[in-house]
Amino acid sequence: MMNSSTCLRSFSKLSLDRTAHASLTSRTLFAPQTACFSTSTGYRAQVTSKAKKPVAPRRGEKTLNVKKGKKAPNYDMGKRPNPGERKAQRKRIVLSNNNALAVASLQDLSPKNVLDPSIEGKVMGFPEEIVDALRAEEAFKPSQGWGLFRRPAALVRKETAQLATLIKAVEDAKAEKQPRTIRRLVTGDLMSGKSTLLLQGLAMAHLRGWFVINLPNAQEIAFARTDYAPLAGSDPLQYTQDTYTADLLRQILKGNRAFLEETRMVTKPDLPFPLPANSTLKVLVEQGMVNSEFSWAVFTTLWQELSQPGRPPIMFALDAIAHVMRNSDYLSAEVKPIHGFDLTLIRQFVDHLSGQKTLANGGIILGGTSQSNKPATPALDHFIKVAEALQSDPDNVPKWNPYLGVDQRVVDALQGLEDPKQKDFDVLRLGGVSKPEAKAMMEYYAHSGMLRHTVDDRLVAEKWSLAGMGNVGELERASVRLRL
Amino acid sequence: MNLDIIIPKCLPFQSIAFYSITMPPRLNILSLARSIPYRPAPQPQWLPRPSIAPKAPQFRAYSDSKAPQPPAADRSSRIDAKPLPHVSEEAAQMAEITGSEGPDISQGTPVDEVVKGDKSAQEKLPKVMQDALKSNSNSAPKGSRSYSTMVTSAGGSGGPDMGMLNFPPSSSTPAIPGLKFDAPTLPLPKDGHLKHRYDPVVDQVIGLLMRHGKKSTAQRDMALVLEHLRTSPIPTVNPAKPLLPGAPPPSHLPLNPILYLTLAIDSVGPLFRIRSQKGAAGGGVALQIPVPLGRRQRRRIAIQWILKAASNRAQTGSGKGSYAQRVAAELIAVVEGRSGVWEKRNAIHKLGVSVRANIVLPKKR
Repeated sequence: MMNSSTCLRSFSKLSLDRTAHASLTSRTLFAPQTACFSTSTGYRAQVTSKAKKPVAPRRGEKTLNVKKGKKAPNYDMGKRPNPGERKAQRKRIVLSNNNALAVASLQDLSPKNVLDPSIEGKVMGFPEEIVDALRAEEAFKPSQGWGLFRRPAALVRKETAQLATLIKAVEDAKAEKQPRTIRRLVTGDLMSGKSTLLLQGLAMAHLRGWFVINLPNAQEIAFARTDYAPLAGSDPLQYTQDTYTADLLRQILKGNRAFLEETRMVTKPDLPFPLPANSTLKVLVEQGMVNSEFSWAVFTTLWQELSQPGRPPIMFALDAIAHVMRNSDYLSAEVKPIHGFDLTLIRQFVDHLSGQKTLANGGIILGGTSQSNKPATPALDHFIKVAEALQSDPDNVPKWNPYLGVDQRVVDALQGLEDPKQKDFDVLRLGGVSKPEAKAMMEYYAHSGMLRHTVDDRLVAEKWSLAGMGNVGELERASVRLRL
Repeated sequence: MNLDIIIPKCLPFQSIAFYSITMPPRLNILSLARSIPYRPAPQPQWLPRPSIAPKAPQFRAYSDSKAPQPPAADRSSRIDAKPLPHVSEEAAQMAEITGSEGPDISQGTPVDEVVKGDKSAQEKLPKVMQDALKSNSNSAPKGSRSYSTMVTSAGGSGGPDMGMLNFPPSSSTPAIPGLKFDAPTLPLPKDGHLKHRYDPVVDQVIGLLMRHGKKSTAQRDMALVLEHLRTSPIPTVNPAKPLLPGAPPPSHLPLNPILYLTLAIDSVGPLFRIRSQKGAAGGGVALQIPVPLGRRQRRRIAIQWILKAASNRAQTGSGKGSYAQRVAAELIAVVEGRSGVWEKRNAIHKLGVSVRANIVLPKKR
């Protein structure tokens, strides 16, 4: 006599036992293999009444402790912050410190003086409307020290003046009806002021009435946190990021409101939504903002509009560029990684950076690199090194290390950096600031009340040396951050 | 017994930490009611130095090169016995004889150029020069550090500057003979000593903030605390919880965060601790005796209280600055009189007053 469980098991296996029904063997050979035990029926069963499970005590609630001698763990009983609150606090950008003294001698940047070489070496404030635009474009970063001073201001360093000359060159070329697209990669050491230089470039472009598009962080585009969809009719297949693009259009509208409001459309694009004839560009952008599924179509239409004659030059910037110089975190339908260049926004940027496309009214394509948060991108690193060597030491240009994996698409895009004849494509390397520049900065700190010290040559030389020969971030850390 | 806490009314802030618990002083006409800061008049610098100028030593140090003396053979009067002159000198003599332009003897002999391309001559060169020739062929010497690991170059693209360009050499010789550099001006700067170069309070808080020996993390937290203090609004002081007498007005505090921190800590630092003497009260009961604390000890206790209260605060944000933010909030609460740390201090002081009779002082003779 078998006990009941053994009996049940052998019965459940009976259906699988081919020897039991010899006549059916040939057919059951092709029958799908089934498990002898399944939980699916149990899952499918209708739940008639809620299971009476013992409810675990809520956190912080007192319960009878039967384990003698063992204390209940001491939970933090405070209310947890709401979802998103912590991140909002972490990413909060403070641009003003009411305790800091207002610096009377601080001049503002203006459309007139911004391209003037005489402001080089001075600390210049950003006018209020520019601050709003830059804030909307997320050009300020939380790690930068804006929150220590009364209002945002930055040193016009040697490299900023170089960028100003580039802006002037673009404007001159536009006046001569020979539009020029200048492309620059901003490189430099950790905390050497790369993102701040990008911000200054955006500010200068705003002041000169350019159209400004800023992609504040390439990582946010490539790390697969926003939705994506294949772009119909693209070959090779590209992917749009509708929510991100709609958000970008919102930022563009905030940053360039005056231009978009006063400019009317001249092209007749084939858009998937009705648009009144001869409407302003603001209406177009707002459509893309509201209906995120049309955002990419709106962006391309806006780009076409900007390419019409008589429109301003474009400043197109992308920070932390290394994140898109490789495969992104998105996956294709074949579960293959999507290359960063296959994302439409990035494609737009890289096509102009590599020189494959040019801006019809001229402009500057500005790419920023990051040293603190960068993935391994051997091709990008190599081309940056080559371009820097071509500037400083043309006899010792580094060779490609054949043992490194090469990303051919990145190589194709950055080929121009190796060519010394291409003056429009180059790197803008940030070194340390000079001692007079450091002195101007530290005097601004002292006037703001953040540095309690007499700023003399001795102090400047001391801090300048401590800051690794004038690295701006280290200089700030050594003089105002009170970091021992 | 009467125990008074004497708090000087108008001492400058720095010297506040000197209050003490004393017996009521016997009247002394000679002593002053208040300490008077007394500083001696500045005296001209005098350094002990020998009155006789040091003479040149009569012996040769190992490091000195040997006195230049002609080789022995040169003393011979016979021309043919004299050794041959140096290559350049010989060439110069020949040039003088022939009346042509010879090499400049004052410049030294460019041996590298002489042996250039001459394999057999190169083999006879000294080892050092042979090595130098070899290393010239490939530019980077082995084992040399690439400049990329050094600090940044100021120009961005130029060579390494290292801050030595345009560096003025110390031109003036020191006025006092025997000194290599100028004597330092007195008083010496506060941060002149390597081990005491930071503010003592900041240093102490860093030490108490530190966990698992991670001092740099503690320093970062300290910097964040001070940054919170300097960006927070001006505190409103509660008159019921008075700060130290002589404290600056609250509007001055955010601009001087170290003073803000020091004031908060010194204001809640207890003046004494209660020592429990076991069995001294009889019947197995501990006798509680108040013991006065020094400045550093008072600060230590206050900092510990503040840090404890900060860690008990509810966490609002996330990330590295969260604890620092709570510590800063607690410091502000201390200055504004909202903190529970004040209750701790008052409890100790109250207990101290009630057990002050337990203090046994040595008998006066």
